[in-house]
Amino acid sequence: MSMSKNSEHLVDDLVAKLKRRQLVGSSAVAQATLKLLIVVISKNNWTTSKQLLTLVKSVGQRLNLANPTELAVGNIIRRVLHIIREEFREAAGHVDSPKDGSSHQGGGHPHEGTNGLSEFAPLTTSSSMYNLLGETGSSSDDDVQYPSSLRSNIIQEIREVKDELENIYDNIKNQASLHIHSNEIIMTIGRSKTVEEFLKMAAMKRKFQVLVAESAPSYSGQEMAVELSKAGIETTVIPDSAVFAVMSRVNKVILGTHAVLANGGLVAISGTHMMAAAAKHHSIPVVVCTGLYKLSPLYPYDEDSFNVTFNPDSVLGFEEGDLIEKVTVTNPYYDYVSPELVNLFLTNQGGHPPSYLYRLIVENYDPNDRTFDL
Amino acid sequence: MPPKEKVESSEQVLQAVILADSFDERFQPITLETARCLLPLCNVPLISYTFEFLAVAGVQEIFVFCCSHSDKVKQFVKQYGKQSNMKIHTIVSQECYSVGDAMRELDAKQLIDTDFILVTGDVVSNMKLDKVLDEHRARRQADKSAIMTMVLKKASPQHRSRSVGDGALFVLDQASKECLHYQPVKAFKSSRQDRRMTMDMEIFDKHPEVQIRNDLIDCQIDICSVEVPALFTENFDYQDIRTDFVHGILTSDLLGKTIHFQEVTDVYAARVRSTQMYDAVSKDIISRWTFPMVPDSNLQAGDCYEFRRGLVYKEKSVVLSRTCVVEEKVVIGANTQIAERSVLSNCVIGKNCVIGANVKIDNAYIWDNVTIMDDCVVQHSIIANGVVLEKGVTVEKGCLISFNVKVGAGSTVPAYSRLTALPEDEDDSEAELESEQAIVGATGRGRTFREAEGSDDEDDEVDPRNKLVNRLAYDFSALELDQAQQELASGSEFESEASDLEEDEVNPAEDLDREVTQTLERAFKENHTVDIAALELNTLRMASNSSFHEMRKRIIPSVLKHMDVTAPVKSGKAVKDVLDKWGPLIGRMVHDKDDQIDGLYILQRASAALAPGTSSKVFAPSLRYFYDADILEEDAILIWYHSEKSQEGSEEEKKLRALAAPMIAFLEQSDSEDESEEESEEESEEESDEE
Repeated sequence: MSMSKNSEHLVDDLVAKLKRRQLVGSSAVAQATLKLLIVVISKNNWTTSKQLLTLVKSVGQRLNLANPTELAVGNIIRRVLHIIREEFREAAGHVDSPKDGSSHQGGGHPHEGTNGLSEFAPLTTSSSMYNLLGETGSSSDDDVQYPSSLRSNIIQEIREVKDELENIYDNIKNQASLHIHSNEIIMTIGRSKTVEEFLKMAAMKRKFQVLVAESAPSYSGQEMAVELSKAGIETTVIPDSAVFAVMSRVNKVILGTHAVLANGGLVAISGTHMMAAAAKHHSIPVVVCTGLYKLSPLYPYDEDSFNVTFNPDSVLGFEEGDLIEKVTVTNPYYDYVSPELVNLFLTNQGGHPPSYLYRLIVENYDPNDRTFDL
Repeated sequence: MPPKEKVESSEQVLQAVILADSFDERFQPITLETARCLLPLCNVPLISYTFEFLAVAGVQEIFVFCCSHSDKVKQFVKQYGKQSNMKIHTIVSQECYSVGDAMRELDAKQLIDTDFILVTGDVVSNMKLDKVLDEHRARRQADKSAIMTMVLKKASPQHRSRSVGDGALFVLDQASKECLHYQPVKAFKSSRQDRRMTMDMEIFDKHPEVQIRNDLIDCQIDICSVEVPALFTENFDYQDIRTDFVHGILTSDLLGKTIHFQEVTDVYAARVRSTQMYDAVSKDIISRWTFPMVPDSNLQAGDCYEFRRGLVYKEKSVVLSRTCVVEEKVVIGANTQIAERSVLSNCVIGKNCVIGANVKIDNAYIWDNVTIMDDCVVQHSIIANGVVLEKGVTVEKGCLISFNVKVGAGSTVPAYSRLTALPEDEDDSEAELESEQAIVGATGRGRTFREAEGSDDEDDEVDPRNKLVNRLAYDFSALELDQAQQELASGSEFESEASDLEEDEVNPAEDLDREVTQTLERAFKENHTVDIAALELNTLRMASNSSFHEMRKRIIPSVLKHMDVTAPVKSGKAVKDVLDKWGPLIGRMVHDKDDQIDGLYILQRASAALAPGTSSKVFAPSLRYFYDADILEEDAILIWYHSEKSQEGSEEEKKLRALAAPMIAFLEQSDSEDESEEESEEESEEESDEE
């Protein structure tokens, strides 16, 4: 099935932007992907679930290849695929027989929405056998006359995800006062919008001190410190090398992350691993603030697999002609932090230990969508 | 071509011109078969990097100018244009032989109607041009005469990403960002001219602070205004955009145009101008200096490189055997297989290659569909598509092996070889390839490539070494070896300046000898005036591009020989007659004191070389005559007399020097008398010194 010219053009555009790294950062990338998918789904012709899934997967494949390290792209696409599957299943249930889905009621609700339609979704995905049979039996799928509301329902569901993305900081930062207490010393690293909002929120009620590691060579920690001190938080910038030395005085480490992997490992700005390890040594709790859209069902088979290695310029200037020929400089942007070093994830759905992440993955993504192969 | 009605809205459309041709032959013989801009650099065609660079800069419309292999470039651009949201047009022009021709063509076609970016098809850069463009536009607003902005990048003079021998000196004014003077710098400066920089003194009057810099990489990324192509049309002799255009504009008082520069930091920019630069830029890409333009960004549609530790980039479909060793800085293309115990380091391997067991590849660039059989060793070379290296072949450093060459089992390709499988006679398509079995072995296919004779008539003054320095894997020791192989006599490479002026090559010197002798004989015989003879000799001197020293060396002995001193009587008169007539001619060849001293040495040697017994009769009167005629000044004679060089040489020469002693004594005396008149206080000191 071919895409309409307009949406084809939009996909090309986003692919180019991802490839050239004109669009970076999980949040921006996730929103752009979602926006694109809404257009693709609403502006193209499809009648069966297979057609729509193929359409979305083909877009996903291209976006994913454009920049495989932006895991949020894949997450959003999986999320949308999941919604499509659910909606079709539900619609089929309406056509064929009365839905029995209401008998399931899980604690972890996958969708934020209070909309009645999403009530049918929970837990059906966990019985994979049912899914497999459901998907392969698509021959019947073709004959079924879906209600005309299907398209608008799907779009409606995706819009809810969009709302969730837009309000993600609110949901996370509202938990701040539960985790940060008066006169605590908090340590963080790099600049994370989520952590920034979280700390600012906490500062409204409590008085505490923040130590920010400057996170060389990007020095984004310095920017973070400026932002925090503007909000009236007592902030100290420390060099990355001092992290271990001052760790013993810290009450809590609060980290942002680029992505959370299936095992609970983090892909976060370089220096994070050192900080988490130092915290572990001193038995300081490590809390990770993250939106659920950063949670990826992918597993890190090798600790470099989701890393990005940047231009070495910020470590060793290109002008140093004689040196650069003799020295190999690698400048990884991210660290992989293994799940044992993390104590708690604070997501927009509340706090979860790393061991619980598998559950969130099952609720949010369909196991068939791990890769976007057609 | 843009339709006419687009002109009004064209202010928003950012245009760029890519010169896909390099107008040189540095990549031959590989470029005999494909266009330079399509050569794979880390398995991606060179021009893709340029397109990508322009796309990031926000260019919407690109004109690709191509001459050689235009059909291939066209095809590629068409393919590329499909998946890109830029409008890309190709302009084919077979009559272009230089950047100047291309710019004139551009002007004739009137395609450009706004400021545009001019780049060559071999630029690799991750620079964002928006700031440069803004500054250029702001300058244009303020001052219409600012026609061009050059983008320069700072790098130390020995930087690997600087093309050896393509450097330049920039004279800059940092305050106004104006480039004041431009001077290309060659790697080997064989002529006096190359060693000097001439600059207008006015520059210092106008600009309080001036920088003279040699630490800039000039990768020819220029923001040009529409006037630039027009100026090329006006000055139809401009060829190169730097040495002719920039130099011409800056030295011209009439045009009143200014050229500015923008120095960039923290970004990468380089041009693949030569095989040496190909090597350097490949390494920069592998070392990720060009980020995000790195292999794992998959610039080319369909690529799927993975980045591994140790700067290893590998396609998913690569088959590596269990015991092969992939060391640092390696790129391996799709479907390539590498067999047991092979070792790869610092290399790029293309798609669909088959590499046998026990192969060692270091620093090499291996393109697509290459087969390398067991036990081969490849060092620092470029191996093009479809090449087959049979079992046990050794390729030494600096080789370029062009398309589809086959090197037979066990042979060794010597360092710096350039092999091609094209038949010798390019025009005759029927011609059969005669394989050179000495190099490619009995089962091989290919021959050594020789550069076409006379193809470079306009730069016959270029030091041949300058052509070699920017070759792959060059070093200075190899350079000497290479030259020795070529033809040159045993003469040492690095002699002093004085010997530089002497003839390097035998033929022109002999020619000059003969011509000068003939001219003089004719002059003697037909009794020409000194003016005419001097004019003829000067013409000869310029034609042969030789110095006055060369002329003196030939004229003085001839004049001396002309003196008939064999007659027992009145020999002095004969000498005097000749000197009266022809002495002024020698005078014409002598200008300053150095010339005079030099002339004296020549006179001494030439007299000594005359028939025995006659030399003294010639030397002393000549010396006197020259002194009396003011051709030689006393200072020069004194310096000559006291110099060591005059005291060396044959017995005869020493004798002649002794003959000058009375004259010297006279000169010294008169000298000290002069001084004693003026500075009587120092008299005693002076005299004691002289004794």
